[in-house]
Amino acid sequence: MGHKIQVPVYCYQCVAGPDLLKVEVEDGVATRVVANFDIRAEHPGGGRVCVKAYGLIQKTYNPNRIAQPMRRTNPRKGRAHDPGFVPISWDEALDAIAGKLREALAQGPRDAEGYPRIAASFGGGGTPTQYMGTFPALLSALGTVDLGFGAGQGVKCYHSEHLYGELWHRAFIVAPDTERTDYILSFGHNGEASAGVAGVWRHADARARGLKRVQIEPHLSVTGAVAAEWIPIKPKSDAAFLYALIHRLLHERDWRAVCDVPFLGEMTGAPYLVAPNGYYLRDPASRKPLIWDSDAAVPRPFDAEIGSPQLEGSVIASGVEIGADGEMWEHTRAECRPAFQCLIEHVAGNTPEWAAAECDVPAERIRAVADEFLAHARIGDTVSIDGHTLPLRPVVILLGKTVNNGWGGYQCCWARTVLLCLVGALEVAGGVVGTNVKLNRPAHDRAASAVPGPDGFMAYPFNDTSREAWQRQPGIRNAYRTLVPLVANSPWSPALGPAHLPWLFLRSPPEHWPAPTRPEIWFTYRTNPAISSWNTREVAEQMALFPFVVAFAYTRDETNHMADILLPEATDLESLQLMQIGSTKFIEQLWRHEGWAIRQPVAEPVVDCMDMTDIATEIARRTGLLEAYNAAINGGAAGVKLVTDDFDYGLDTHTAHSCEAIWDAVARAASHDLSAGAEVRDLEWFREHGYMVRPFAEINWFLYPHLKRRGMRFELPYQEGILRHGTQLARRLHEIGVAWWDRQLEEYEPLPRYRRLPDIWLNFLRDRGVDPDAYPLWALTARSMQYSWGANVGIPLINELAQSITGHRGVVINRRTARQLGIGDGDRVVIESVAGETRGHAVLREGIRPDTVLMIGQFDHWATPVAKDLGVPSLNSVQSLALELTDATGSTSDIARVRIRRDAARQRGSP
Amino acid sequence: MSPRYGMVVDLNRCVGCQTCTAACKHANDTLPGVQWRQVLDVEMGRYPDVERLFLVVGCQHCAEPPCVPVCPSGATYQREDGLVAMDYDLCLGCGYCAVACPYQARSIVHDGAWYFDAPTLQERAVAHPERLGVAQKCTFCVEKIDEARSARLDPGCDPAVTPACAASCIAQAIRFGDFNDTDSAVAKLVAAVPSFQMHAELGTDPQIRYLYEHPAVPGRAITADDDTAPCAADGSSVLGGTPQRWWDTRAAANFTLGGAGAGLAVMAYLSHLVGAVPSPTLPGLFVSSAALTAAGLLAVFLEIGRKARFAYVVRRPQTSWMTREVYAVALFYALVLGVVVVPSPLAHAGAALAALAFLYCQARLLHAAKGIPAWRVPLMPWMLLASGMLEGVGLLALTAGLLLPSAALTAPIAVAGIVLAGVNAALWHRYRRGAAGNGVGRPARAVIDDVTPWLHGVGHLLPTALLGAALPLESPRALYVFAGAAAIVGGGLWKFAVITRACHQQGFALPKGPRRGSGRYAAPQRRGAGDTVR
Repeated sequence: MGHKIQVPVYCYQCVAGPDLLKVEVEDGVATRVVANFDIRAEHPGGGRVCVKAYGLIQKTYNPNRIAQPMRRTNPRKGRAHDPGFVPISWDEALDAIAGKLREALAQGPRDAEGYPRIAASFGGGGTPTQYMGTFPALLSALGTVDLGFGAGQGVKCYHSEHLYGELWHRAFIVAPDTERTDYILSFGHNGEASAGVAGVWRHADARARGLKRVQIEPHLSVTGAVAAEWIPIKPKSDAAFLYALIHRLLHERDWRAVCDVPFLGEMTGAPYLVAPNGYYLRDPASRKPLIWDSDAAVPRPFDAEIGSPQLEGSVIASGVEIGADGEMWEHTRAECRPAFQCLIEHVAGNTPEWAAAECDVPAERIRAVADEFLAHARIGDTVSIDGHTLPLRPVVILLGKTVNNGWGGYQCCWARTVLLCLVGALEVAGGVVGTNVKLNRPAHDRAASAVPGPDGFMAYPFNDTSREAWQRQPGIRNAYRTLVPLVANSPWSPALGPAHLPWLFLRSPPEHWPAPTRPEIWFTYRTNPAISSWNTREVAEQMALFPFVVAFAYTRDETNHMADILLPEATDLESLQLMQIGSTKFIEQLWRHEGWAIRQPVAEPVVDCMDMTDIATEIARRTGLLEAYNAAINGGAAGVKLVTDDFDYGLDTHTAHSCEAIWDAVARAASHDLSAGAEVRDLEWFREHGYMVRPFAEINWFLYPHLKRRGMRFELPYQEGILRHGTQLARRLHEIGVAWWDRQLEEYEPLPRYRRLPDIWLNFLRDRGVDPDAYPLWALTARSMQYSWGANVGIPLINELAQSITGHRGVVINRRTARQLGIGDGDRVVIESVAGETRGHAVLREGIRPDTVLMIGQFDHWATPVAKDLGVPSLNSVQSLALELTDATGSTSDIARVRIRRDAARQRGSP
Repeated sequence: MSPRYGMVVDLNRCVGCQTCTAACKHANDTLPGVQWRQVLDVEMGRYPDVERLFLVVGCQHCAEPPCVPVCPSGATYQREDGLVAMDYDLCLGCGYCAVACPYQARSIVHDGAWYFDAPTLQERAVAHPERLGVAQKCTFCVEKIDEARSARLDPGCDPAVTPACAASCIAQAIRFGDFNDTDSAVAKLVAAVPSFQMHAELGTDPQIRYLYEHPAVPGRAITADDDTAPCAADGSSVLGGTPQRWWDTRAAANFTLGGAGAGLAVMAYLSHLVGAVPSPTLPGLFVSSAALTAAGLLAVFLEIGRKARFAYVVRRPQTSWMTREVYAVALFYALVLGVVVVPSPLAHAGAALAALAFLYCQARLLHAAKGIPAWRVPLMPWMLLASGMLEGVGLLALTAGLLLPSAALTAPIAVAGIVLAGVNAALWHRYRRGAAGNGVGRPARAVIDDVTPWLHGVGHLLPTALLGAALPLESPRALYVFAGAAAIVGGGLWKFAVITRACHQQGFALPKGPRRGSGRYAAPQRRGAGDTVR
């Protein structure tokens, strides 16, 4: 046996990570992956690693890798044109890129229409950041870069949850307090596929303890499989079910007895008085919203001593009401209603019988679910965590991807969070918590990001819609600051805006709007928008028109098919980086520790690749941006500030530093910061030990104690801020003649009205002169644990593993439906929509509604080696890229109306 | 007490993520498509009453492993700690263990296979040429367990010495440990929670126990017809066994040629005893018999993975019918040589008895393949014996028709043929009628049904009719030729059908499962403490 060592690294292929692992290396060859059990006591998933990590070695030695920098020789771009890539040296490649950048920068950062000349797109959920070394520092040095060309975000993420979650409880992602919860209502939340090791681990333990989960979704997912009950619901009708649950609690049960009334009165905006024009009634002097103190029968500012906040009925009160653009009404003895009363009235018609007709679930089931939810809420119970007494409300509601993005996302997220408030299960033990912030700041401290606003809620950094400060000229092509107040303006905001709009606008320029332009330079890294966007065909056609595309490339793929320069990627096990781990992160990464972990080259590279950090440094040097680049690293672009009041590990800004020197400085700064200077560790230490952690208090998982301490409330159920910003935004857009966003503006309601959401897709067909019955099936997708975010479709080991989970080889169809269509198991079929078609094998199942078909993951590759031979269909190929299907937050739902038929030309067995 | 290692698999914990499979593939360097640890995606019921679950399968390291006694070389053996282990250097790749396993746990890969067109650096670094052409299966990561012993660590507790699938499982659905240690996690789990063993009725005492109940999910009995009918109907059920591929036409040829050859020797000798075959003819018939069995053995030799290790087949006479078959045939050949060199009544009797022994070994050999329900039925040895005899009569009749001078001498042969055809027909009829009750699945039964009219027509009725018609005739040579040929064809017909087509492996089965899913499968409503609906 040869010399064998184990090298510690992290895997962050998906947002549910990172997982820490060790790579076994024998005589210089990476051979096996094992979990890094050293961290099993601290890691919320027992230190184990996800199935995707086991594909990394094959990823490294994949013979289909791009082996050296390449240049395009065929000026014609498009799917049908061979790019004619030829090898070039790194010097040539970097010089070509730097030359283009210098050229662009010399003309100024923006083009004639005001859009950035340089653009960059990255893949799923911010995961590429943990692989791109110091490339963020280069972006920072470049200054103005359009990061808003989407690769599927908005449709592939929990979009409404991201935005509204951050507004209501600093929850870019929500998670159950799984360790304590007893009952979960999951509307299509596919956590067993998407919540990673920590999620699967925590839920398995919880089930063994007694957790009951009810899964409500049109097809029986892997998560539904392990739930106690599956309720097959009509696609996109979840809001009706949720509204009926609220109705059940408020109209059919005695809410005063079964709901957490103190929580509603003290921790939410439920008692805030709503004045006749729909805005809060405010104290004329302080402008603070008023609450009716029923003990004293007077209105008092929300932060005054209030005996009994009135929640129902109406009162006669005086005060001022401040509407959009500062419009003010003075009220004297006006009839006002508490927000809670507005809520009661709002859901009066949403009976279980009404919902049964909407969502094809019997009314009695809905009632039973509502009652079971209440029965598990344990209102009044408390638990001690880290010495703090916290309410214990072990009930949770989770929403899946297609439920909480696009039209209906607002309704569902709102109804979910309102239901949690009704039983006091928001940000408390056993209930729903947020895990991290991406739109609020500071990003590393959720509680610190929650500061009191003027109305008693957490202040939220809405994009300004006032006449004076509204950003009329879109800063980037997706216009997130102009169109979406809720998406704020953090570094994450560009990618969370309407990221499909640039593609759509390039095809169909909107009226009264700066003409869409193509970026002069477009970088892509760990992303494949030509596969992962909606309507992939159109997106591919648009990117083929981009003049200069630089693709960091692992293998050939559908996006880098349009590239001018291919830079071979130093993959996961070939490059160096440190990342923060622990505290609370995406999905269910709820730790009792926090710290840093390393990713490092484990073996000799097998292709002529360069570490991203070295690439970034070289481009910065050749572009003349070295000083700004180094300054950005010193300022924290590599994850930690190198210079603070406490320490100085800063890099000389005039020197091009090696990758090792940069990460050595990061290692020292990170360990210094983590240990308050007690244990300063260099890069070599991290290379050997893999990670460094310190305790993180569990009480920090919950926002409730922080809000209580700071006297803040959750901004629920009434959305005065949404109403105000929506009204102002409507005025601003109309002032410049923009009417194409009117449909989206209707969504800015203080209490979201239920809309018959499936009709949006049916009407989309009718508007095109198509009879919806011509496309009688709902096509959905679901995450695949084996593939999600991993960009690993070209790795045969992963394909082999995925084959064991039904649906990975084709389109899942209800067996009875298939028989009616003359389709047998394994038959080749064509799935068609108004946008396009996709082909694959039929997979017949019982665990799917007869009106629904399912295509797992994202496939339909035509350039990626291995993947292009899989013959698996993809929902993305039949998704329509359309404004009508875009909601106010700039997202859409992953759903399409399709028809399906046997593929007469190609039958069983043919690829 | 020596340890008894095993696993507990919790059906309510498993989410089908395939991490265990991936970790196993890494830890054991298995080739593309080879999965020692598999997780199946199982669906039961009919919409809107549906349940889905994930079923961890693989070698069950049975306390009574059917793969061990059949192995002719001793390559598969059972350790004191209960692990069923493999010595790749002894395995000849005959596939007998694979067809004997009712858990579809074994694979044989004959040639190196790679994930891409050529082996990668990693694949070259972790290649295991010793595993080519031999049987392989889950070892419970035996080298880790041995390491635990020397390092005084506890398999199941310390991840470094725990089988990769259990150590890597992200749901703790797979637990490993010593069932004989009452303090082990696995022992405690099975003591505390109801569990089942898969195919316990086969007497294998498998050492994987499945848990199926959780506080919110009570257990339920699963009835195969009710729960798996829809997907079984279109063949998409993962529970149903697929046809075995280790024993193909070459094995069927061995059973046909060997059975007919041995039957010829036995029936020739019996015919000789009643005067139907003269002494001078016997050596020639014995030699023909030896030649036929040799041809059959040559066919099966061509099938084994490691031909150079053929001689290892003699190493397990104490339990393996394959070894015994070889001993019997060797004895038969020696006695036939004796008959040829020094003919004597004793030599004749000895050769006939050795042939009978060979035929008996073949009959028991197929029956011992516990992994194939259509083979392991109690009637199988009788069917092979009776069929061999009938085929022997067929060969005799054929020979008589072509060579023997007097029809009178062949009358006893005709009578024997008629009787044996009747016996064979009756056996087949019972076999077919009892197939479902013996656990033979629907696809295999369909093959049996398909072959039945041909078998009865060609293999039973035709020889009976022709031999019956021949009895009163003076020179029925043609009738004997056709009757003999029909009897032989009939024997081959069913053996080829049963061995190569009705050869579906034992599927997977769950006598119990979680009560969860939609409609009637849904877990019952649960109300929290103190709740009353107002």
